[in-house]
Amino acid sequence: MKHLNIIETYKANTVYEGEKIPALFDITFSINQGDFVCIIGPNGAGKTTLLETLNGLLPHTSGQIIIMGYDIQKNGVYLRKQIGYVPQEFTVDPLSPFLVKDIVLMGRYGRVGLLKKISQKDYNLLEESLRFMGIEDLKCRPIGKLSGGQLQKVMLARVLAKQPALLLLDEPFSNLDFRTTHQAIKLFSRTHDEKGWTTLMVMHDLNMIPERCNRIIHLEEGRITKDGSPDQVLTEELLTIGTREG
Amino acid sequence: MSIFTILPLKTLIIILSGTCLAGVVCSLIGTFIVRMKLTSLGFCMSHAAFAGSALGLALDLPPLWIALAFSILVAFILGPLTDQSRLQPEIILGILFSLTMALGLTFLNFIPDSAMSTTAMSILWGSILGISYLDILRLAILTFSIIILVTLFFKEFHAIMFDCKMAEASGIPTKPFYYLILFLTGITVAVSLKLVGGLLIFALIVNPASAAYQFFYDFKKILLFSPLFGILFSLTGLLLSFFLDFPVGSSIAIVSSVGFGIAVILSPKRRKG
Repeated sequence: MKHLNIIETYKANTVYEGEKIPALFDITFSINQGDFVCIIGPNGAGKTTLLETLNGLLPHTSGQIIIMGYDIQKNGVYLRKQIGYVPQEFTVDPLSPFLVKDIVLMGRYGRVGLLKKISQKDYNLLEESLRFMGIEDLKCRPIGKLSGGQLQKVMLARVLAKQPALLLLDEPFSNLDFRTTHQAIKLFSRTHDEKGWTTLMVMHDLNMIPERCNRIIHLEEGRITKDGSPDQVLTEELLTIGTREG
Repeated sequence: MSIFTILPLKTLIIILSGTCLAGVVCSLIGTFIVRMKLTSLGFCMSHAAFAGSALGLALDLPPLWIALAFSILVAFILGPLTDQSRLQPEIILGILFSLTMALGLTFLNFIPDSAMSTTAMSILWGSILGISYLDILRLAILTFSIIILVTLFFKEFHAIMFDCKMAEASGIPTKPFYYLILFLTGITVAVSLKLVGGLLIFALIVNPASAAYQFFYDFKKILLFSPLFGILFSLTGLLLSFFLDFPVGSSIAIVSSVGFGIAVILSPKRRKG
């Protein structure tokens, strides 16, 4: 079943435990299937909180969040099987007993489901994702021995292997060099169209916003302050501030 | 005269089987406990089991079943209490440890003198010679059940051991599996109590698994080698206790600690170049 509005939020608030001021306040928007949306805003604006609230890792305290037609709070486990999530600044213990191939394949585990075996299709997707990110040579390397950039590529390969319907990326290219970032943006933009994904990407560097992005949401102090096409949102003033902060 | 000539073959087989099974089951569950940084869980559970056994003896009830109930109770309290208090599980374990220790010592006071000198001490230090067919059967069923559970839900355990939040984000219901590990630890401690003893069982949970972590970067290999180290350490500990007349629990704890020390020295993870 296709959902035209893949995300619908209505007056959603998220308050962290022990806090009085909401980290997200009165969030109302809807996102259509196939949209490529960038979320921007200064540090502490609530960008990561928004992504974690959308995939239900962080429960919203009031309002409503509907993902693919289901309430995220009631159907979190089911929905997270369809959502690909790459967190910001993921770190791993250097002696962590996992190999790169394990981590990428883990992206499939939720989709495979309880009591079901990993199939040849899953292994094929693992190989394909590693190739896609250009990290086939890292396949049998311990995850804790990778550089920040290599780890980020592994996390992106993991989300590719999952083949999600909705992609939530939290500053996914922050550890990559300029050239690799450009390649990764191209790759994700192309795949976004080929696979019919809906993508929400938190970006700190406004100069790196992908050309494919058709909508930008600007957050400030937990509220949506601007929402529209890149031309409407990326004003000269915002770009100047963004460049200064970046 | 060697212990092997004194003991009847049947008794020797029971002792060796019990030792191997306890080595496998404790170190297998230890693989999860060490990775989750919940090493205090081992001694908290063992003290809960000890308190339960002491209560059983004081009330003239079967000590094993009361020990089992106490260990499972700790497992059920720990998860929700950690969630509610938003504190690290290690802090909650510290609180529960002092509580179970205090309860155990209090219950000991109510045990009649005759039982105090024999049964209570065997709970503390283990009594391998008193192990029965039924104990072996219980250990075998538990070992088999844990191996089946780990095999059936390997994907879920694997993902949770890497990172709980990422596993949750993948669509894995992490909480039931987290509670399952706590629950299985409780049962493992209570069932293995008779062999190693309440005060030293956590050595058999933590040491073989920690030794296996020194050698491999692949979690599957750790799951395989941790029980093998468990068997090696517990059998060596048993032999040491026979020849030097040490309590079995103490011997296993000493051997497994030395084994861990050797693993650290030989660990390829720390080798340069």
